Amino acid sequence: MSRMKRIDREEGRAYALMVLPALVIYALVMAFPIILSVILSVSNYSGGKMFGGERWGFAGFSQYARVLADPFFWNALRNNVYIVLVSVFGQLPLGFIFAYVIYRKLVKWPGFWQGVLYVPNIISIIVVGLLWQTIFSPNGPIGEVMNGIYRNDFQLKLQLILGPAGGFAVDDGMVARLLELAGSAGADQFTDAPAELKSLLLSYGPGQYGQVMDALTNLFVQKWSPGFLNQPGVAMLPILFVILWMYTGMYLILFLANMQKIDSQVIESARIDGAHEGQVMRFIILPSLSGTIVNAAILAIAGSLSTFALIFAMTGGGPGRITEILSIYMYNNAFLGRPNFPLANAIALIMVFISFLLILLTKALEKRYGGKE
Amino acid sequence: MSEEHKTTFWGAVGGKAAKSLAYAVMALFSVMTLYPIFWLAMNSFKTTREFQVSQLGFPVAPTLANYKGAWEFGEFAKLFPNSLIYTALSTLGIIFFSLLAGFAFAKIRSKATAPLYGSFIIGILLTIQTLMIPLFLEVNILGIYNTRLAVLLVYIGAGLPTGIYLATEFIKGIPSALVESARIDGAGYWRIFLAIITPMAVPVATTLAILNITGIWNEFALINILVSRTELKSLPLGIFKFSGSLSTDYGKQFAALVIGMVPMLAFYVVFRKQITKGVAAGAIKG
Repeated sequence: MSRMKRIDREEGRAYALMVLPALVIYALVMAFPIILSVILSVSNYSGGKMFGGERWGFAGFSQYARVLADPFFWNALRNNVYIVLVSVFGQLPLGFIFAYVIYRKLVKWPGFWQGVLYVPNIISIIVVGLLWQTIFSPNGPIGEVMNGIYRNDFQLKLQLILGPAGGFAVDDGMVARLLELAGSAGADQFTDAPAELKSLLLSYGPGQYGQVMDALTNLFVQKWSPGFLNQPGVAMLPILFVILWMYTGMYLILFLANMQKIDSQVIESARIDGAHEGQVMRFIILPSLSGTIVNAAILAIAGSLSTFALIFAMTGGGPGRITEILSIYMYNNAFLGRPNFPLANAIALIMVFISFLLILLTKALEKRYGGKE
Repeated sequence: MSEEHKTTFWGAVGGKAAKSLAYAVMALFSVMTLYPIFWLAMNSFKTTREFQVSQLGFPVAPTLANYKGAWEFGEFAKLFPNSLIYTALSTLGIIFFSLLAGFAFAKIRSKATAPLYGSFIIGILLTIQTLMIPLFLEVNILGIYNTRLAVLLVYIGAGLPTGIYLATEFIKGIPSALVESARIDGAGYWRIFLAIITPMAVPVATTLAILNITGIWNEFALINILVSRTELKSLPLGIFKFSGSLSTDYGKQFAALVIGMVPMLAFYVVFRKQITKGVAAGAIKG
């Protein structure tokens, strides 16, 4: 056997042994689940042992039809789109502005700002989710601030009815005005509101102005509640806000790193030749970053598909399933109530399909904008 | 700067007013970023009772009782070692297998490279969370549900596409002449990998470590479907326990959140520069 052949064989063996471990793990974790998903999505498998248990087989494409006919699927997809929109029109521009401010040295201490704005990315999403869930809850700090405002406002109105501090006189007209101010809370607190309220007021002496104020406020003041968050279209707002809060720093770092690749001499000489900042931005910075911006937008779409833990921790998809996104919608179909694995796998494949569309889009854009950033 | 530019918006950029505005914007967003975290830490030292009365003030009588309670209820003494094991072994696995395959793709000529490397590249955009249901069923078929092996396999597999991409592109940049002259001297590929490539690939290995350490330490969605036994759970799973039964025991919940947050914040404070560089390098579209 010739020496060349021996070397070729050695080369081939080394290549195979070096690529194989990665390939096997990758196949187990990515390729095999996709194949499994394809099989199960057209089956009637209903949980339990997959081999040797209850028999299951081909059941057609009805699960796909079911998903596409399910309003909750479209609701979840729409929420995914909201996340993409917040990324593209919120995180990207903000991140770009921060990066620009730091890059053009409009502020000192570049490392400091960059470091601070990236902090939320470092924290576990579960921690972030539970933290903000508390902040937005009726018992959270927003509630405390809002209740304080309601209280002050209510007491100002009370003063108008009770008259100036120091003393007050109880009569039927005043009781009526108090009940008008109380609104529905009056009927909630008393069965015979006018009579009961009057006797309550009479139990205080005219000198107990402060006590009466407090008693009436505690009885009637409106309590803040984020009840508006139960509305479709509004319920996603806190989640979108947290996503903006959390990931803007990542785009800042991405943009800044690519701005720093621009040859600073080009900008300096353009400035010397009389170009102003707008022209520097328009003709140097933006064109250099076009690839990065496309890249960031694609990351945003991929990020929306991989979002799970944040919503799982903040709302679990509720209230009434209106904050579900595709991953939560899939999870709930597989693990909540009666598991429907064929349906969940059909959803998984729809998401994989969207990912593949994204990959094709990337390739097309790469051709247009050239090279990787 | 010429006179006319001063009157336009862009001419004003770089002026005193613009600089003050820039500081104001950066300061505002920085406070918005840090205040919730500060608020959380501050309230973790209040009793639940005090929290309900005053959420925005400083703790009147700071207490560590929440931490003790959270540590015990969350069984963090079990979860910390688990998180360390998952993070360390997965990261090492990703680095090792990525460098190995990256070396083969970059420096050994083969017809298999184009399709294989391409398939890994596709994986960069295939978010693995999409596959959590079939993954859950798969680990059940394989009989490795509730094992560390399943967690490690999934974490390593999820990290490979980006890992292999970065490793291959980096190793391509190492002069082929180094490999060829070692070959002429009679060195085998494994020797070349260990003696030449690995020492030179420290920068890309660092990037991979940075990217994966934070990602795996904080990971929740996948491990949530892979294990259910406390002995195998990671910190994020333990912290999630505080959302249900203990969601009204704010003191303990906040302490748990701080416990979950501190290790990575410390890691960030120490390795901020490397993390920043790694994130910029790792944010690739494939």
